[in-house]
Amino acid sequence: MFDSVFPSVDDVQQRFRSEKYIASRRISTVVYLAARMGRPVLIEGPAGVGKTELAKALAEITDRPLIRMQCYEGLDEGKALYEWKYAKQLLYTQLLRDRIGELVADAHSLPDAVAKIAGQDDAFFSFRFLSPRPLLSAILAERPVTLLVDEIDKAEPEFEAFLLEVLSDFQVSVPELGTIRAKHIPLVVLTSNNARELSDGLKRRCLHLFIDFPAPAEELEIIRMKVPEISEKLAKAVVAAVGKIRAMDLRKPPSVSESLDWARSLVILNAEELQPELVESTLTMLVKYEKDLERVRGALDKVLAP
Amino acid sequence: MDERILEFIGDLRRAEIRISPSEAVDALAATAEIGLDDRETFKSTLAATLIKESRDRETFDRLFNLYFLDLQALGAGLKKALGPEDPRIQQLLNQVMSEEGLDLDDMTELMLEGQGSAMEMAIRARGQGAGLERLMYFLQIGYFSRRIQDRFDWETIERDIQQLMALLEARGLDPGQLARIRSYLDLRLESFRRMIRQHVERELERRAWRQGERLTREILSEKPLFALTPDEVNQMKNVVARLARRIKDALALRQREQAKGRLDARRTIRKSLAYGGVPMEIFLRRRHREKPKLITVCDVSDSVRNASRFMLQLVWSLQECFSRVRSYVFVSEIAEVTQAFNTLPVERAIEWALKGAPVDFHCRSDFGYAFSRFVKTELDSLDRKTTILMLGDARNNYNDPQAWALRLMRERVKGIIWLNPEGQWGWGIGDSVMPLYAPACDVVRECRTIAQLAEVVDNLVHHWWRRGR
Repeated sequence: MFDSVFPSVDDVQQRFRSEKYIASRRISTVVYLAARMGRPVLIEGPAGVGKTELAKALAEITDRPLIRMQCYEGLDEGKALYEWKYAKQLLYTQLLRDRIGELVADAHSLPDAVAKIAGQDDAFFSFRFLSPRPLLSAILAERPVTLLVDEIDKAEPEFEAFLLEVLSDFQVSVPELGTIRAKHIPLVVLTSNNARELSDGLKRRCLHLFIDFPAPAEELEIIRMKVPEISEKLAKAVVAAVGKIRAMDLRKPPSVSESLDWARSLVILNAEELQPELVESTLTMLVKYEKDLERVRGALDKVLAP
Repeated sequence: MDERILEFIGDLRRAEIRISPSEAVDALAATAEIGLDDRETFKSTLAATLIKESRDRETFDRLFNLYFLDLQALGAGLKKALGPEDPRIQQLLNQVMSEEGLDLDDMTELMLEGQGSAMEMAIRARGQGAGLERLMYFLQIGYFSRRIQDRFDWETIERDIQQLMALLEARGLDPGQLARIRSYLDLRLESFRRMIRQHVERELERRAWRQGERLTREILSEKPLFALTPDEVNQMKNVVARLARRIKDALALRQREQAKGRLDARRTIRKSLAYGGVPMEIFLRRRHREKPKLITVCDVSDSVRNASRFMLQLVWSLQECFSRVRSYVFVSEIAEVTQAFNTLPVERAIEWALKGAPVDFHCRSDFGYAFSRFVKTELDSLDRKTTILMLGDARNNYNDPQAWALRLMRERVKGIIWLNPEGQWGWGIGDSVMPLYAPACDVVRECRTIAQLAEVVDNLVHHWWRRGR
């Protein structure tokens, strides 16, 4: 059932690299296993370390289109799975009133008429009037897809339980249409920022991957790959400075996306090296809270010390 | 290998990491898929399938290192122990062995080849028969090493070596060369014996660790809180964190059961418009779940400080189970410490509340004074949704108990729960004024151990709000 997408862990790593995503050996192993065992991957980690990015890269390297479901508070089954197009159904019944009249015209009794209409009821409850939402689209898809369930921790526990059901056998039942089974098991990636504890059941079902801030060498590689214009020296200085800022006790330590933004802005400003004034004026790219800013400004000479 | 992994999972479970059978099956399937070639990959495979909480990762890493040896490092260590390997001797030996077609014992061959991993496997296999499961103390290491050693057939190995030496002699090597070869082989044997000892030592470490974990869980949760050493207090923090999680997990389940309720007319009518005014879909108003508003009032004098510490930790880790938590601490002066919990992580806030809060920590407890002050300043903020969780031993140092203040508080709130870290037998004896305060409280509980504390808080979260008070 699980066609092998990747021949080996090394292959995963290389393909990610060609997609400009630096995946550690650990990440590649988990992705390989997920594809191999047909299991969802649950990715946790601080914001901005590339969790969503990983799913996008995965979609690219496997050539499976990405279906994304962003979770939020109040997301329910209807919005995630399918909805009937009520208005369209209503409109059609109005428009087709005459035809319905004709249909029951020669009925002799009420039960007879009801039976006639009952014979046609599938017409109004068919795929024509169904608008599939991300989960159903992933299940109905003609070719294998990648399903990204983003920030699952934002949804309510009830939704999580429902999702668990769908993820465990990849089939859903639409009462009017019967059970729909997935043609291909999608690659599923769930991300969480740990805003709340996820249920045990969901965790049990998934392979777990924790992505932390990358090691300096890795981060350097990421910066060079994503900001190719940057000079070697500046890239190194950026990584070192970001590392020191992360070690400070901040409310929101800068993550990879922020250090990339910073590197880009430094390149735009034609910086050759990290001058204190320059750093001070671009610091807001890196640190987003006023209190944090104050602390970093106060310790700027330490941050920039080689 | 599967057995080894299962054993490993068993120990993870003993360390209170929840691993379901399906996860264990996953781990086995995944490792079969990945293979054992690369230790790091193997490790990430096990971690991805077994460890679903990043906080368990540390335990996993430690246990993993005890279970799955770093064979490469081991090999390197072995080489070092053997001194600079003499490639010429090794080559010569290999040549002789292949040319003469000697029928050597498996163990001898292993020894000659010096494969770290194969040797380790052999030792492990012998260890299983040697009653290693009875290993408990440091002093037993020598005994068990010997027992494992005895399970190898040293005579056969010695005979094989003799045979080998004879062959070499027949090939016309001079005595000097022969002596060098002999001492090289002896070195190998010696290092093998050392490996056995190391194996036993590691096994002991693993066992000791296992025992330690069990101690933390079983003994600590029954141990009187005042008797904890600073070390135990640290371990206890983890126990309390686990308890908090368990209480929260159960809560999520109960919320799901609550899918019934009264009709939500507004939403039902709005939805019916899509059906031409026919209410096809019925919406129910979710029953409003009343989360308790909580005020904790803790005595933080020396005698009950530990109990206060864990109560605060438990309550604040369960913050989302309450609509609002406010905390006060007192010895005789009373002060609100809520602010600290709102700005600092729980851990640090507790430290601050116990040491840095604006109350005099060195005077004698005076419950009466504290309560009267509380009534004077905070009475207006109390309401019927509030529950007061009081923690103290009610040892009032013969001061005026001022029980009227507690009664006044009771009139304003939903209930008062009093936790007393002192055994029930002591209430009312000496300077204890518990019997005077008890009538104003809805529940008075002895709370000497963590287990008792957990029970009270669990009841508070799950049942208290249901009662029609």
